[in-house]
Amino acid sequence: MNEHLHYRLQWQSGAVYPGAHPGQMVGGGQLFKRHVPFIASPDPRRIDLRASVLDPFNGFSVRVYQQQSSIKLYLVADLSASMRFCGESSKQQSLVQLLLDMAYSACNYGDSFGFIGCTDRVKPCWYMPAGQSLERVKALAADISQAYFSGNAHGLIHATPYLPGHRALVFLLSDFHFPLSQLRELLSSLQNHDVVPIVLWDSYECDNWPDWGLVSVQDLESGKDRTLFMRPALRQKIRVAYAQRQMALKECFRAFGCEPLFMTAAYNAALINRYFQQRVA
Amino acid sequence: MNLAVDTPWLLAGLLLTVLPLFNNGLRLTAMPWLTMIPADGVSLAIALLLRLIAMSAIAGLVLGLAGLHRTEQSVERIGQGAHIVLLLDRSSSMDNTFAGLAASGKVDETKATAARRLLTAFVAQRKNDLIGVAEYSTSPLFVIPLTENRQAVQAAIAATATPALSFTHVSKGLGMALSFFQEQPLTGSRIVVLVSDGAAAIDSDDEQKLRQWFKQQQVRLYWIFLRTAGSPGIFDKPQDSRDDNAQAMPERYLHQFFSSLDTPYQAFEAESPHALANAISDINRLENLPLQYVERIPKQDLSAVCYMLATLLVTLLLGIKCVEIKR
Repeated sequence: MNEHLHYRLQWQSGAVYPGAHPGQMVGGGQLFKRHVPFIASPDPRRIDLRASVLDPFNGFSVRVYQQQSSIKLYLVADLSASMRFCGESSKQQSLVQLLLDMAYSACNYGDSFGFIGCTDRVKPCWYMPAGQSLERVKALAADISQAYFSGNAHGLIHATPYLPGHRALVFLLSDFHFPLSQLRELLSSLQNHDVVPIVLWDSYECDNWPDWGLVSVQDLESGKDRTLFMRPALRQKIRVAYAQRQMALKECFRAFGCEPLFMTAAYNAALINRYFQQRVA
Repeated sequence: MNLAVDTPWLLAGLLLTVLPLFNNGLRLTAMPWLTMIPADGVSLAIALLLRLIAMSAIAGLVLGLAGLHRTEQSVERIGQGAHIVLLLDRSSSMDNTFAGLAASGKVDETKATAARRLLTAFVAQRKNDLIGVAEYSTSPLFVIPLTENRQAVQAAIAATATPALSFTHVSKGLGMALSFFQEQPLTGSRIVVLVSDGAAAIDSDDEQKLRQWFKQQQVRLYWIFLRTAGSPGIFDKPQDSRDDNAQAMPERYLHQFFSSLDTPYQAFEAESPHALANAISDINRLENLPLQYVERIPKQDLSAVCYMLATLLVTLLLGIKCVEIKR
């Protein structure tokens, strides 16, 4: 069952088409925007008599209202090998869940929803231009849940040309397991848009290590392996490393004016809703 | 440390020791990004150790299969002692008692038995000597060359228990005893212990040769003469000058010949087992010069050690497998 994501905007959409979000267009809305001369909006029903009488040039002033506009909603997802990780929960499944929830919510709001999947480049088979059909999203989700992710996340930077020229709401879903310099480059290329970074981690990788034992870990992307002798000290070291990484990521995102959402458990729509409530407030 | 193997082609299996470099045997656990895991020296050391253990275990198994062994080798040692050749008389008169009678029951000991018993004790005392055994009767008998192997020498002496032969051909016996020293380094003292109960005339040709050989090999001679009661001794002078010839008194003439050699010579006349024991202990006391000799260490099979090591290491790896984290 899909849950609704109540995404809200702090900015006004420039879209012409009416929708559910505050827009820059004037038209059929509830919220008074300004007075315009009658000649600009020739609707006699909207003539504001009081404002017209006060006009020293005896012109007619007409009230115009803010139109609720639609936006374009994009999910830019990292489909690199590291997203294959399946610990307490599968990152791939979280991605599919989020994709379906976003498409469902976009459909409810009347927004158009697009998906850009990136590995070391933007994969044409994982690219879906913005639209309002739910069926094709379902097909895509089925494809993704069956897919075998490989490669690295360098392609995220190349996602920008696929995004619309005007401001859109972009969910950036990744584990952000790449260098911060690459992240800065990515975020500066996305400055035009409202970016919601969702950091997908798993408790198995950052926190949930056993106290004692021997384990051989293999990097999903590079294939390199290391043997670890787990002990409380090393476990603490890994925890600290992840905490530091979290701080570094937060600083980096805030520098570009967006607040990251860390998901260390399975995907939960309530977490995203809470994130938007906090953001607007 | 000369190591060798029985089946060298099995050593090709040593190539398998590189396998642990590619796979350390632990199940691989996926991690999204290894850079996030801080460097850890202890883990690195344990990972290296793990590979080393696995490689050693494989190497141990392969070497065990190939049959690793240490080859026979010789160690040079320095001790107190001598090169001794025991030259034993195997004439049938040795099977008589000192009284000149055939051995009857257990009361009397034959000369051969007494000699055997005392020489066995003598050999056991001489820890660092090289001892060879030769015998003679009608012709010389090659028994055992100079060796440090006590057991072999004791066995050779014990072998004289078999019934003896008839004649006494001492010059050929001496020739053979001296031939033992050829191709031996000249170190320590060289001794021929001649144990006999009679003598024989040596013709002039043999005399010449023996003189030459004794001089060349620098051999000391000890003659233990087991004198039968009533028979002529070494030092006896003939009462009648007509009997003063090599045929009538071979013992006296042999003694004279030995005394005329350029090498040190000592004769012991033993009329009883007790006197024989005294003579032997005299030799034992006299011959204790520093001796440089080569000890041979036999081939040692090391495959059991290899298998033990491999078993130990594999058990260790099994233990490590038990503490592996399964996620």
